[in-house]
Amino acid sequence: MKSYHSLSQVRSDIASGTITCVELVQGYLSNITSKNTDLNALSEVYEEEALVQAAEVQEKINNGSAGRLAGMVITIKDVYCHNGHTLQSASKILDGFKSQFTATPIQRLLDEDAIIIGRNNCDEFAMGSSNENSVYGPVKNAVGKNKVPGGSSGGSAVAVQAEMCLVSIGSDTGGSVRQPASFCGVIGFKPTYGRISRHGLTAYASSFDCVGVLAHSVEDTALVLEIAAGPDEYDHTVSTTNVPAYSKAPEWAEKFSVVSFENINSHEAIDSAVKQSVDRVFDKIETLGNRIHKVDFTYLNYVLPTYYILTTAEASANLSRFDGVKYGYRTENAKDLDSMYRKTRTEGFGEEVVKRILLGTYVLSEGFYDAYYTKAQKVRRLIRDEMKSLLENNDFIIMPTAPTPAFDLNSHDRNPLEMYLEDIFTVQASLAGLPCISIPNGTDENGLPIGIQVICNSFEEEKLLSFSKYLKEHIL
Amino acid sequence: MKEKSSKYELVVGLEVHVQLATESKLFASDKNSFGDAPNTNVSPITLAHPGTLPKPNKKAIEYAIKMGLACNCEIAKVTSFDRKNYFYPDLPKGYQTTQDNQPICIGGYLDVKSGESMRRIDFNRIHVEEDAGKSMHDAAHQGTLLDYNRAGTPLIEMVTEPVISTAEEAGNLITEIRRIVRFLGVGDGNMEEGSLRCDANISLRPKGTQTLGQKVEIKNMNSIRNVQRAIQHEVTRQSHLLDQGKTIKQETRGFDDATGKTTSQRSKEEANDYRYFPCPDLLPIKISDSYLTEIKAMMPKLPAEIVKELQEKFNLTEYDADIIAESEDRADYFFHTAKICSHYKKIANWMIGPIQNYLAEHNQSLAQFSITPEKLHDLIDLVESGKLNYSTASTKVFLDMIANPDKSASETAKDLALFQDNDESGLQKIVDEVLEGMPDKVAAFKKGKKGLMGLFVGEVMKKSRGKANPQITTKLLNETLSK
Repeated sequence: MKSYHSLSQVRSDIASGTITCVELVQGYLSNITSKNTDLNALSEVYEEEALVQAAEVQEKINNGSAGRLAGMVITIKDVYCHNGHTLQSASKILDGFKSQFTATPIQRLLDEDAIIIGRNNCDEFAMGSSNENSVYGPVKNAVGKNKVPGGSSGGSAVAVQAEMCLVSIGSDTGGSVRQPASFCGVIGFKPTYGRISRHGLTAYASSFDCVGVLAHSVEDTALVLEIAAGPDEYDHTVSTTNVPAYSKAPEWAEKFSVVSFENINSHEAIDSAVKQSVDRVFDKIETLGNRIHKVDFTYLNYVLPTYYILTTAEASANLSRFDGVKYGYRTENAKDLDSMYRKTRTEGFGEEVVKRILLGTYVLSEGFYDAYYTKAQKVRRLIRDEMKSLLENNDFIIMPTAPTPAFDLNSHDRNPLEMYLEDIFTVQASLAGLPCISIPNGTDENGLPIGIQVICNSFEEEKLLSFSKYLKEHIL
Repeated sequence: MKEKSSKYELVVGLEVHVQLATESKLFASDKNSFGDAPNTNVSPITLAHPGTLPKPNKKAIEYAIKMGLACNCEIAKVTSFDRKNYFYPDLPKGYQTTQDNQPICIGGYLDVKSGESMRRIDFNRIHVEEDAGKSMHDAAHQGTLLDYNRAGTPLIEMVTEPVISTAEEAGNLITEIRRIVRFLGVGDGNMEEGSLRCDANISLRPKGTQTLGQKVEIKNMNSIRNVQRAIQHEVTRQSHLLDQGKTIKQETRGFDDATGKTTSQRSKEEANDYRYFPCPDLLPIKISDSYLTEIKAMMPKLPAEIVKELQEKFNLTEYDADIIAESEDRADYFFHTAKICSHYKKIANWMIGPIQNYLAEHNQSLAQFSITPEKLHDLIDLVESGKLNYSTASTKVFLDMIANPDKSASETAKDLALFQDNDESGLQKIVDEVLEGMPDKVAAFKKGKKGLMGLFVGEVMKKSRGKANPQITTKLLNETLSK
């Protein structure tokens, strides 16, 4: 099958009779068969189901009743409820669990005739930056060379990168869509917090978690957002702000002003190829007569601690429900209730998850709460206020998505703090709840993809997506 | 009720949990109902499946505000939910969604009887939270069975300040809370079924001092009497320890209904650190002035005020007034009838007697009752004017009126030919017949067995088919027997 990089390409080939929906799914299935054993991007492939659905969608296309996503073959990260299907969040603790309902955003895509071809491997409970923390084993970057795909939506990024699907639905709490997108050379988009319902998304850190999109094209990203976003009676935190027709956003044609954080672009953790690629973008922007507002980000040193205190605090409570009582894994070595809890959770959770639960429990403990949790909430407010105030006076913030290109598998095993540093540029927008996107911006000398990140003010997705398309076509 | 100790002063704070009678649960659309087959009202939200989120039940918020207004609380302009973290199998999420920092109702008080006077019991707060499921320890399966029907059902927790000074006050406060809960219809207030539950924080301090003594928390009390028994037992236990120069241990104790004693359950060292923090899945709820005004407009006159009015304006006894003030229906029925009928005491008697008995027997409410206040007025007038005797009125006429809701009391009595016989010459004939038929009894009466009068009256009544006027009958019997 030929490579497809947007739904419009697929639709035009279907319309011209070059390919049918069933052949399309067969094409992706054949890619999966040849690549997934090595890449491990999918934990489960819905072969029969996808083929049946493809025939139905083709029928709808033929009789003119097809939905707006007819012809879009997608995969979903293993954190979404999908009625009747296994949901494991890449964790042993959810062994044997099947969803009893479908997540709101996934249902909305299905209602528009998207075809789900498989469930993506990911970091356990979306905690990780390399997709090495999974009960299914690590995902590998399709670029080869024994590189990680990034995380936690590593399986999603690789599935799009290796053409096992057209689009993947990931989740982004602190960069889990953008950073793997950057590592794998695809687009990774995180909307404003509350733009898309979280109903049916396994919670990691509730006040950060966002449904995210990984795709080849800005158009597909916009269309998926347009369909998935909006009010939902099951999510009290979802926004009722009007959902514009993102897919029909006008072409970007204006001059603009971007913020460049000096202390970020010259950060010691930044790889030289990454730095060069960002500098190139700023140079071109300036050459084209746009304004660059150069400033230091006041709270740069606080973004990681603030992020890790708040997300682990929320996670420690969100993951309490996995206790061996009601569903999922339960130890066989319990002597009493207390040992059932201890052993189930010790045996069921991976090391990174245990670490974060312990950290979160600690920061909420009596005597430490104010020093950590309360203070971090205050810093989060400061970070958000500074970001928003900059975005009141400028159109965008542009910075690298990640400090480095994809790194080697197992390279951060001994120093977890190095791994946390991978998130340094993505958590900022997450702390502020702002919409942001990672767009491929060339490769380093070894051919490893590099992404560039654009951040916009709350609920300005339309502007962000228009600009992203412009950036991709005219600047990158 | 006086506590035995003379050296010490008792200080009690109560935490009263009230189940709210909403249709659905606090954060899910599952049915909120008691007594259904286990695990039938359990959606993925109740069972804390991954991906599920809470959505607040507006009715529960409304009920909590109503209770707050009834208890003179300040209603918060913004109220929010927190997570209280602990592991227990009946708690599906591993945390309870409750309110810590911004409870829905702040402060407040209720006035309750204390000895011969009234005392004001101050509240700290009322907050909304979800209930846990039920664990049942099952010997047959050698394990614990869990029923999650109750998990996630709405509760309010009413917390008093530590100001209660006798077991009597504690009992009266719970009674008053229960009366308001039932009156407002926000819950059924049934302690045996656990829809009203009470924990007590109990401490002693030397008389005359202000510093609070070390408190002990007593849980698991399923009746008002047991709350009082537990308090009394703690007074004895704690004063005994203090007398011996020992200190009171901070702990949680349970009350044993059978022995009337409290026993240690958990010491302070074993206590949980609940790690409260704001629930990120729930936005703070704003209570607007207009919404609050709307609820205030819905608030009925409350039982305490009704009792006062019934005693002062209508001269009812406290006992009668309390019963009539139990529900809005009853109070309305009384006030409506009293507007057209001045026999207030009789209205109360009819309501508490025949009407209440009939409704209880037929499991009906006053709202379904066919004898309107107007008809009751008619019936009472017939009795008070001597046209009907009470026993006939309250049985035959009463039941016939219920069976024939179109007829008035007078029509019914007339149709049944039950109007009282006030004709002395006719009655004299019956009196003579009765006495002639019982010469032995007449002789005995004349020898001094005056108690036989009741028998004679009864016989006359029977012969007259209930129509004889009892006063006239007694008069005629006395005259005839003394001849």
